[in-house]
Amino acid sequence: MDGLSFDVRPGEFFAFLGPNGAGKTTTISILTTTLAKSSGTVRIGGYDLDRQAKDVRQSIGIIFQNPSLDLNLTAEENIRFHVSLYGIYGYRPSYRMMPRPYQENVLELAEVVGIAQDIFKPVKTFSGGMKRKLEIIRSLMHKPKILFLDEPTLGLDAVSRRSLWDYLQKIHEEEKMTIFLTTHYIEEAEEADRICIVNHGRMLFSGSPQEMKNLMVSKYLLIDAEDRDSLRSELAGFGPEPMEDGSLKVRFSESTPQNILSQIKTPLSFMRLHEPTLEEAYIDLVSNGQDEEEAS
Amino acid sequence: MPIQRELNAAVTICARDVLRYIRDWKNTLGFSFFFPIAFLGILGGTIGQNMGAGLGYDYMQFALLGMVANLLVQFTMMGVTSLIEERESGFTQEIFISPVSRYSNLFGKILGGSLGSVVSLIALFIVAFAMGIPLSLAGIGCILLVTPVLFLLGGAMGVLLSGIFGSSPKAVDRATIMVMFPQMFLSGALIPVKNSTGVLSVLVHLMPATYLVDLLRGVFYQGTPVYGQVVLYNPIVDLIISVALAMAFLVLGSYLFVQSERNR
Repeated sequence: MDGLSFDVRPGEFFAFLGPNGAGKTTTISILTTTLAKSSGTVRIGGYDLDRQAKDVRQSIGIIFQNPSLDLNLTAEENIRFHVSLYGIYGYRPSYRMMPRPYQENVLELAEVVGIAQDIFKPVKTFSGGMKRKLEIIRSLMHKPKILFLDEPTLGLDAVSRRSLWDYLQKIHEEEKMTIFLTTHYIEEAEEADRICIVNHGRMLFSGSPQEMKNLMVSKYLLIDAEDRDSLRSELAGFGPEPMEDGSLKVRFSESTPQNILSQIKTPLSFMRLHEPTLEEAYIDLVSNGQDEEEAS
Repeated sequence: MPIQRELNAAVTICARDVLRYIRDWKNTLGFSFFFPIAFLGILGGTIGQNMGAGLGYDYMQFALLGMVANLLVQFTMMGVTSLIEERESGFTQEIFISPVSRYSNLFGKILGGSLGSVVSLIALFIVAFAMGIPLSLAGIGCILLVTPVLFLLGGAMGVLLSGIFGSSPKAVDRATIMVMFPQMFLSGALIPVKNSTGVLSVLVHLMPATYLVDLLRGVFYQGTPVYGQVVLYNPIVDLIISVALAMAFLVLGSYLFVQSERNR
């Protein structure tokens, strides 16, 4: 990490992005107290990371890159050990001996994420998606203020990813929980309130997904007509760029291409609006950052 | 209550280890029977048949007590060091990010390792009965009386190894083996060391397990005619040395472990 400094607001969905080796996992390891920092200060939920590490741990939930479940135990046993470690309930050797609120909570959450039928089965029989769902239930049992998700959908199929995100969005909205996400699937950050991009331990960008798109990638209109000369003269003020196939590329920065379209009288044979995706903006940003580093 | 909470966490960690031993019963039983059969049955049996005749005491009973002390120490030690070996995977990650003191983590692992090693004790008894080694109920009582000290020093050795090699699971794994085998051969568990001299005598006295093996034999053979032939020191001396070593290892190992966790 190189002078990295950022803040995450309560209840915010914060996406922390960057290419491999950018320092994402190092940062998340420091924030979750599993790695000591060499300098600087960190405060989480109002607690100082150095002096109040236990309070920090109590106020966060984590879903690791690699599942942290005990495969020899059942899903419910994994949850029971978690709540006992976090001091929510005293340890009891069986589910039936646990207090009623615990039993109800486990069944309710298992129902919500769709693993109620398997909650008493060994975790080694679970698919990757089911393990992730179980980890989410477990990480929420102690009602953390902040949920750290370190590439939570790594290795999951599209259906499992979708259902996992539906649930995460739901709890984010209902519980007003702060979510700190690292991911390689950039589209997962589309719903984030704020995105922070790092590379080689330094921050490249911080802002909303829309700000990121606006900042880094221009929107443009691809346009063509039978009478290309007439079209080109009408759009001369917008600096049209000829494409290989003879069509014109006209960039714009406003929210819609209204201004451009209002100048066109020539009948169009083709028109396509290009809206930048977050992924394009991300690639643009990271590539530019790398080019600048190499140049310097 | 913070103390009650830490105790609950330690019990939880211990319970998980015990449950894992039970769930993984095929491996647990296999591993627990392997050492008694290999060391007491095969190695001890061979020594007993070929060299035990002129000793003046029952060599197999002598070896059984040595193996009880050694195996309980080793299994407890390995139970504690598994905390480091599994650090990068599975549930251990969950333990390390829970709001529980590192001391409670270690205490829970010592408890879990101790209870897990009871399986190897039962395995030893079964092998002993199968081989016809004399062992009365009173003798079993003597062994059980000393087991808390064996668990304590075994656990403390595990804590010390975890503290020294806490940053590297592979190093802990290797160090555990490096510690295990010298204890086995130099503590007097299988091979008498009463008449050792020179460098070997120094090494014998450097092995923590020497005092545990001697303590167990001191209690077991108390008041019998062979006491003077098989026991090195008064059991009180062994007990004081064992507890002192355990305390020193626990304090130093816990300190190093907590430091290594902070500096990770």
